[in-house]
Amino acid sequence: MHAPRSTESAEPSDEATGSFGQDDSGEAGSGTGGTSGPPAASAGWLRWGWRQLTSMRTALVLLCLLALGSVPGSVLPQQGSDPAAVQQYYASHHWLAPWLNRIGLFNVFASPWFAAIYLLLFASLVGCVVPRTFRLAGSARTPPPRAPRNLARLPHSASYASELSPEAAVDAAASVLGGQRFRLRRPASGDVGHDAGHWVSAEKGYLREVGNLIFHLSLLGVLIAIAIGGLFGYKADKLLVEGSTFADTTSALDEFHPGRLVAGSDLAPFSLTLDTFTATYLTSGQSAGQPESFSAKVTYAATPGGQQRTDNIEVNHPLSVDSVKVYLIGHGYAPVFRVTNAKGQVSYEQATPFIPANTGTLLSDGVIKAPDASLGFMGVFVPTAVMTNGTLESLFPAADNPAVSLIGYSGDLGMNSGVPQSVYQLDTTGMTKISGSPHLMYQGQTWKLPGSRGSITYVGTKQWVSLAVTYDPGQIPALVCGLLAIAGLLLSFFVRRRRMFVRAVPAASGAGSVVTVGGLTRSDASGGFEDEFASLSAELAGQDRPAPPNNQSETGA
Amino acid sequence: MFRARRRTVITAATVAAVLLAGALAVTLLTQGNGNASDSMIEYPAGHRPLAPDFTATSLTGTPIKFASYRGKTVVLNFWGSWCPPCRDEAPTLEAVAQQYAPKGVAFLGDDVADTPVNALVFDRGASISYPSVNDPGYAIVQDFSQVAPISDTPTTVVIDRTGHVAGMVLGAATYADLTTLLRDAAVTR
Repeated sequence: MHAPRSTESAEPSDEATGSFGQDDSGEAGSGTGGTSGPPAASAGWLRWGWRQLTSMRTALVLLCLLALGSVPGSVLPQQGSDPAAVQQYYASHHWLAPWLNRIGLFNVFASPWFAAIYLLLFASLVGCVVPRTFRLAGSARTPPPRAPRNLARLPHSASYASELSPEAAVDAAASVLGGQRFRLRRPASGDVGHDAGHWVSAEKGYLREVGNLIFHLSLLGVLIAIAIGGLFGYKADKLLVEGSTFADTTSALDEFHPGRLVAGSDLAPFSLTLDTFTATYLTSGQSAGQPESFSAKVTYAATPGGQQRTDNIEVNHPLSVDSVKVYLIGHGYAPVFRVTNAKGQVSYEQATPFIPANTGTLLSDGVIKAPDASLGFMGVFVPTAVMTNGTLESLFPAADNPAVSLIGYSGDLGMNSGVPQSVYQLDTTGMTKISGSPHLMYQGQTWKLPGSRGSITYVGTKQWVSLAVTYDPGQIPALVCGLLAIAGLLLSFFVRRRRMFVRAVPAASGAGSVVTVGGLTRSDASGGFEDEFASLSAELAGQDRPAPPNNQSETGA
Repeated sequence: MFRARRRTVITAATVAAVLLAGALAVTLLTQGNGNASDSMIEYPAGHRPLAPDFTATSLTGTPIKFASYRGKTVVLNFWGSWCPPCRDEAPTLEAVAQQYAPKGVAFLGDDVADTPVNALVFDRGASISYPSVNDPGYAIVQDFSQVAPISDTPTTVVIDRTGHVAGMVLGAATYADLTTLLRDAAVTR
């Protein structure tokens, strides 16, 4: 990261040709990553370790690791977003999957090693950016250096004869440069030697440092915004059947991943009802059955008892309520069942969500638990049923000919034992299987169970949606800081620091003076300074000609 | 050349060591995030949050106004017939309800994410005599979670005679939990 210093130094010892800004100074320790070997003392080791961590090289390595680390997150199924796919992966890679799980590859973004990478990156960036910010702030405030003695040896120089006294000539030049919004410096009372002559130094392009400062501060802002999002934000999933409502409260949410500083009462108190869900699919062509559109019509209230509003949540059109976003992330079917017990009393009546096993045809798996009738069922739901060679299959994802095929169990479902169960799994250890082959039912049909155990009716079909409820208070600040960082970077790229020096000495003839103008800019900045210098020195020389004496009064600033 | 390589090795080793240390730190930090075990919270008199009021419909269709319970100590149980720990604790709640009924303690269930059919079948089967309101969309849970940390079902909240939350059991309630809470809730000032 060592930017070459200005190589055109005419007088190397002179501060005039010193660094523009501070980008490349003070970097020997932190910027190069290991120019100095590891010292012996333990405090030295610590300092050396900190320098390594905050070096640009380490930051780049960490950034690269972060990118590499997220690759398995997009290649392998993730527990957080698609637990069913993880189970499928386990089933098909029963030897490999446990090992992948051990190193957290099914939950990459929550795994300790991933957190370690980004925490280190965080530390590295903060450790690098904070000291730089202070240096930049200092650099943006520094006045121009004193004018060097011999301006003719600067890369750009010109001289002209003036009729004014050296002092007046320099004043005139200062007024021109000041009018061009250069920052000026005149000899101070303490200056001696050639510093005490008649000269003015002018510097322009401090916006470069301001841009740099904005860039670095915005980077810090992005980091802080991410931290705020992580601490105060939350992410949750909710499966919601048509016609049902949920309130945004922790116990109503299926998967709740709060930030470290989120309490239950911090959740936005909205409630949301899924009125209807509509999915359309391509009906012809090669990609028949491919989804065309999804739309969830919802009614919501931002506060309990508040005004009811309606909205359509679509795939890239989340609902925004009270700065919480509700995304549509999945859908499926929830056949409605009515189960009666041995005495003929209705013991269970509910829309029961089935989970798609085949995302193309929406053939879905599910269980029905009627503990108070001592009955349980396991089965599949097919939206468009066809029998091929005695096997029930789904032809199309829309519910054109819905059917279920169930296996019944009777006995104790283990639901009074106090041990929590998954609503998608039936524990059949205390139960006996009812009939040999799975029982096929179309909508409206009833299966009278053998042995007067009761009955089950497939009443109707509803749909469910899976919603992601996310709150990220750092999102907008991160965006703003990101944009500011880009703006600052552009400013620092396109604005050039340049210096002008004017020195006047009495003319040899006795009257008037000889004025020398020198110009300097960073060698690595974009060109164009020659023209600017030429026009500026012409203007300085021209300004001199009329020589109005009253000009003196308004200079000297 | 040799020095440069040695430096790279040392840099890599340091980065690896710091990575490991970071990983360890994060693992230790995240371990505290496990499932909270069943626990009891009590609020001393004078520091009790005011319980929200609500009007709801019972499982059998009668309107129930929570305000009408004012003057009694109320045990409000958040449950669902689909929730095994709730089914497990219900007989205990019923026994305590019977025992404390003469002392002016009323029990009320808040049946969440459930159908009245399913809930009533359970209540009848388990001989639960106290009523429950139907709360399929967690509306009452949401109201209460603004004042008390209800994170899951079952949760049992004890409200004193003045309508303030005296304490709660997170998870399945035991006889000892309930009697302790009821004893302390009787002290209102």
